[in-house]
Amino acid sequence: MNARRSRRFQPLLFGAPAMVGLALFVVLPFLMALVLTFTDQQLISPEPGVFVGLRNYERLLSIRALVQAPERNDVAGTPSFARVRSLTRHEPAYLGYRPLGELRFGEHRVTLLAKDPAFLTALGNTFLFALMVVPLQCTMALGLALLVNAGVKGQTIFRAIYFSPVVMSMVIVSVVWAFLFDKDLGLLNQALGTLSFGLVKPVDWLGNPATAMPAIVIMSAWQGAGFQMLILLAGLQGISQELYDAARIDGASMWQRFWYITLPGMRQTIIFVLIVTTIAALGLFTQVDVMTGGGPRGSTATVMFEAVRHGVREENIAYGATISVVYFLLITAFILLHQILLRRSAKVIS
Amino acid sequence: MRPSQHSSLPLRLALYALMVLLAVVFMFPFLFMLVSSLKSNDAIFADVSSWRALLPVGPLTGANYANAFLRGNIGHYLANSVLITVVSVGLGLVVNSLAAFALARLEWRGKQVALTLLVILLVVPFEAISVPLMLLVAKLPGIGFGGDGVHVVRSWLDTLYVQVLPFVANAFSIYLFHQFFRDIPKDFDDAAYVDGATPLQVYIHIIVPSSRPVFATVTILQALTMWNQYLWPLIAVPGEGARPLMVGMQQFFAARQTAWGEVMAYATLSTVPVLIAFVVFQRWFVRSVIGSGVKG
Amino acid sequence: MPASLDLCDIRKSFGSTEIIKGVSLTIAPGEFIVFVGPSGCGKSTLLRMIAGLEDITSGQLRFDDVVVNDWDPARRRIGMVFQSYALYPHMSVEQNIGFGLKLAKKSKAEIMVRVDQALSVLQLTPLRHHKPSQLSGGQRQRVAIGRAIVRNPNVFLFDEPLSNLDAALRGQMRMEIGKLHQHLKNTVIYVTHDQVEAMTLADRIVVFEGGVIRQVGTPVELYDHPANRFVAGFIGTPTMGFLSGRVAATAQGEGVALDAAGGQAITLPGDLRRVAHGAALTLGLRPEHCVVCPPDQTMLSGTVVMLERLGAETFAFIDLPATPAPVAVRLDGGERSLVAGQRTGLRFDIERAHIFDADGNSISSSAS
Ligand SMILES: Nc1ncnc2c1ncn2[C@@H]1O[C@H](COP(=O)(O)OP(=O)(O)OP(=O)(O)O)[C@@H](O)[C@H]1O
Ligand SMILES: [Mg+2]
Repeated sequence: MNARRSRRFQPLLFGAPAMVGLALFVVLPFLMALVLTFTDQQLISPEPGVFVGLRNYERLLSIRALVQAPERNDVAGTPSFARVRSLTRHEPAYLGYRPLGELRFGEHRVTLLAKDPAFLTALGNTFLFALMVVPLQCTMALGLALLVNAGVKGQTIFRAIYFSPVVMSMVIVSVVWAFLFDKDLGLLNQALGTLSFGLVKPVDWLGNPATAMPAIVIMSAWQGAGFQMLILLAGLQGISQELYDAARIDGASMWQRFWYITLPGMRQTIIFVLIVTTIAALGLFTQVDVMTGGGPRGSTATVMFEAVRHGVREENIAYGATISVVYFLLITAFILLHQILLRRSAKVIS
Repeated sequence: MRPSQHSSLPLRLALYALMVLLAVVFMFPFLFMLVSSLKSNDAIFADVSSWRALLPVGPLTGANYANAFLRGNIGHYLANSVLITVVSVGLGLVVNSLAAFALARLEWRGKQVALTLLVILLVVPFEAISVPLMLLVAKLPGIGFGGDGVHVVRSWLDTLYVQVLPFVANAFSIYLFHQFFRDIPKDFDDAAYVDGATPLQVYIHIIVPSSRPVFATVTILQALTMWNQYLWPLIAVPGEGARPLMVGMQQFFAARQTAWGEVMAYATLSTVPVLIAFVVFQRWFVRSVIGSGVKG
Repeated sequence: MPASLDLCDIRKSFGSTEIIKGVSLTIAPGEFIVFVGPSGCGKSTLLRMIAGLEDITSGQLRFDDVVVNDWDPARRRIGMVFQSYALYPHMSVEQNIGFGLKLAKKSKAEIMVRVDQALSVLQLTPLRHHKPSQLSGGQRQRVAIGRAIVRNPNVFLFDEPLSNLDAALRGQMRMEIGKLHQHLKNTVIYVTHDQVEAMTLADRIVVFEGGVIRQVGTPVELYDHPANRFVAGFIGTPTMGFLSGRVAATAQGEGVALDAAGGQAITLPGDLRRVAHGAALTLGLRPEHCVVCPPDQTMLSGTVVMLERLGAETFAFIDLPATPAPVAVRLDGGERSLVAGQRTGLRFDIERAHIFDADGNSISSSAS
């Protein structure tokens, strides 16, 4: 038996368990997702799903505007409009559409109709969440990183404390914060009330469509900032101290040193942190599922929440998979954006 | 920027004050959780408007913990989660480091293609495949261990291994191992081959002992992920038998909204193992996060 | 048991680029062979092929007349010392040395005895429990050698083993390796960039260029009779000086018209029948075969660009017209007052000059 020849096959042997695992549990489901989106597969159904073309995508993304002129049958002149529901019931063009929201343009009323308004709302909520949490969390993280890096004694302990929420389960964090957000007994309202001497009325954080998402944003930023802090800290420490010394000799103030040395030196790290945070934000699910169940009135439902609701709770696998694919495309777009930004910044530097 | 080297005492004191204040902000939910778990509901509600909410004062009780076990069945879920975490991390270390070894240290045709595929897999988020994966495991025949002994079951749903097997092979772990292995000097392998080692012996005697940091990193990241699993068991484990801790937490919370003390006791029990590990291995946690972020 | 080695038209390609382009060499048992050559010429690659770490693309490698092309490194019974030492960082000195024996499933007792022996030969016994990180460069070097000798290899392979050491330590280790070879009498193949190592240790030196052997011979042979311009320029410090010219007739017979002398010809001693009239030639001059003199006493004159004072000897580098590199001259006592920038004449002993044809091959009568 020739040992050198047998060595040729060993790499495959070493890699085989991982290859099988990845093929079965990542590649296959991913391909399945792509195929399922063109079917009407249900979870528990005796027949296999049938090909339905782009119907799932159509249902997911169809949107149209209904413009109505006011019907003035009132003496006082307050405009009134034909009921949207009666239109969508009887007009063939609007069949299957439900209202998503409405706008006023002068006299006219514009009603946005969608086949799945819940999904589009969720998509909007997801972007809204990302738009709020990314700046908040990243600014917090940068501030923490600068503080920890300021070189006072005990920085290891402070770093550990700021980081500690990251190792906690999001479920636990959500449960604990649900209590903190409680309207009558929550610490948050108690503290606000005490600090403002009773001027601030108790807020029903999670029960009010206007505050539920901001509440989740605050909690998520608190939970996650430690992660970005560590990455930024590594970036900060990667900047040579000699650059600061040179700037000091050139007479740069602390603020100037931050602006002309720290920020440019951290460019790549900051881009990375922004993208990673955004991608994580777009996957928002656990907080919502535990704290609000998507409510109140759909104000905290997200893309992943909709995917699970349709795919698992309503057992419409095909539709759930379609939402997953749309989510994946979203993530991919951000990863591509990251690559483009990196190229650019590499060019700026060189 | 290290202002402290040159800055004045008042500035430094202000810095300290700010850092301590922030530390309180980051700690108080923990404190509240821990403290409330030891108080009766009445005591919790009586204390919420003062600092007592964050201090273990007044009559303390262990009844919440007893109820977490009795009503919340936390003992069973805790055991499930420990089992799932330990087995999947253990298997994952072996499977992924072996694959990375083949990618980083051995020469074979198709290696470049395999590496490219791996990088592509890195960007597929688990969320995006969880729904079709459920359909897949629902159709996979498995093995059940019921009261009537070992028997074949029709699907993987509601089992412990459906929570383990999909997570053993992990593209990100392979990637981390690969990054580390690649930087070990190739001369080590050659010296060992001259000494008569087989590739497996090189892996065991040379690569593994030189790679403790990356093993620690992968262990920590993977253990945290597994311990905190929520979305997948929510999808794949509807029943109670194989339910893990975090789903149990959510169910208990939903069922006993008003029993703050008991929910907090449950939360504390779920967190303490992680917190202890974090305090003991703090440096390693920090290193693994930085390692995962900076390179990933 | 020292082995004999036969390399028969060995070739190696990485992808489509050929790195080793047909090497044939016979090595006698117990011989100390040194590979030298410019960086990237394939010395390490060839050594690794001999070790069995790199596949042989074509050709035959024989140990004691047995073809070993497909043998594993361990089966070839070689010991190898790497430039980086490649000591396993997590093992003690003792474990590093005994690792190969452990893999070979030798008994604990036997491992102990043989490791002890190696430790004492290399004077490492007091350091047996140290980790590599706790050792000095020279000690690490000795552990690496210990790991190689403990298995009684047939052939010893060294790849630039001393290049990470400082000059003093390098000299000391060079002597130790020499003594070790005298003691063990193994066959040794040793790759180095250091001329002193090559000249002092080698029984024979193999000079490579671009994946082919340019010359094989004892150190003295290579120095005195380089077969081509490449070897002539490669062996010897300072480098041999080269003067270009053309074959021309002189009053005394056949000679060479030197570019550096404005085309003045000098008569050559040997027989130049093989070379056509007017063909390009190069004269090679060792520093010790040149002397400086006042500029008006010779046909060659130029400027001193640098003086290299090494204590025992001093070399002057003289820039001559139409000559790309300055020519080195070893100064004896008197001319040490020379300063850089000064004009000076140069004379050389034509009897001892090396003559190369247009292809760089030696045509000196003494070169055969
Ligand atoms: N695995 C490989 N794949 C492709 N090319 C290689 C590989 N290993 C070596 N080479 C090439 O082969 C040539 C010879 O390399 P080698 O290391 O043998 O040179 P060397 O003579 O030892 O040089 P040095 O004196 O600098 O150590 C180099 O051009 C190198 O780039
Ligand atoms: Mg080399």
